Amino acid sequence: MTQELTQAFEPDAVEDEALFQIVDQMWASYFSHVEPLLPSFERHDITGEVMCASVGIAGSRPGLVTVVVEATGARPVSAALLQEDGDLLDEDVYDSLGEIANIVGGNIKALVPDAGALGLPAVATAKPLHGSSGRLAARLDVSWQGHWITFEVWLAGGAPRQDAAPAVSRTAPDETLED
Amino acid sequence: MKALVVDDSRVMRQIVIRTLRQAGYDWVDVVQAENGVEGLASVKAENPDIVLSDWNMPEATGIELLQNLRGSGLDVPFGFVTSEGSEEMREKAAAAGALFLIAKPFTPEAFAEALKPVLG
Repeated sequence: MTQELTQAFEPDAVEDEALFQIVDQMWASYFSHVEPLLPSFERHDITGEVMCASVGIAGSRPGLVTVVVEATGARPVSAALLQEDGDLLDEDVYDSLGEIANIVGGNIKALVPDAGALGLPAVATAKPLHGSSGRLAARLDVSWQGHWITFEVWLAGGAPRQDAAPAVSRTAPDETLED
Repeated sequence: MKALVVDDSRVMRQIVIRTLRQAGYDWVDVVQAENGVEGLASVKAENPDIVLSDWNMPEATGIELLQNLRGSGLDVPFGFVTSEGSEEMREKAAAAGALFLIAKPFTPEAFAEALKPVLG
């Protein structure tokens, strides 16, 4: 079945290095005034409460780009993107994380042949659940100011990665964001 | 001179406006709209010198906004600021009458290069 799926699609250029280049360019453009991201060479699964922003790629080659941030890091990342020091509204935090997913998703879509439309970003206080029809095409774990951030790209078709462990959903007890 | 920034994300509108300033256009007045429907109304009400619009938005997308503008006989200079910068998207934008497409993530230099022919 995996082989059939692999043959059903043209090869794409989505891989860890491409994802890193996209995230690195985004950080250089919008976060150059704060500390750089520190990429991890090893997979780091975030435990505890998280916020997750995601954007879907529709069409014959569906996919999902997710950005999972430790809940404690969501507000500092958003403040850095907005370059605002004051207290942010929760909606600004959701908006900021959604835009990060949107930027990464739009650039990932450009690497996928025959990709359909890019969806609007969605943000939740839970890790994403991935269906069996997708494969983990690229993953990037980074830390910033002691907060872990995980970027993942899931695409239909292709062989599964060795490190594509199934994600476990974790829902925060409430939707109040912490500093 | 007046610029209309259309994006459903308040955060991205702030970043676009900030980048506009960093590109040297701190003398340009800015008005904002949250989607293509509001954008069309804002063009009619504010008569901007340029529209900087996102592509993916609820209510009406950026390309629908551009098509509705041209369909209404409004030829205001129009450029996209979007996360999708593929050749296919650029061709679609140009075919609909957009002057440029600035892909996110962008820099002040990219803004200056795209806006100079319109804003000077």
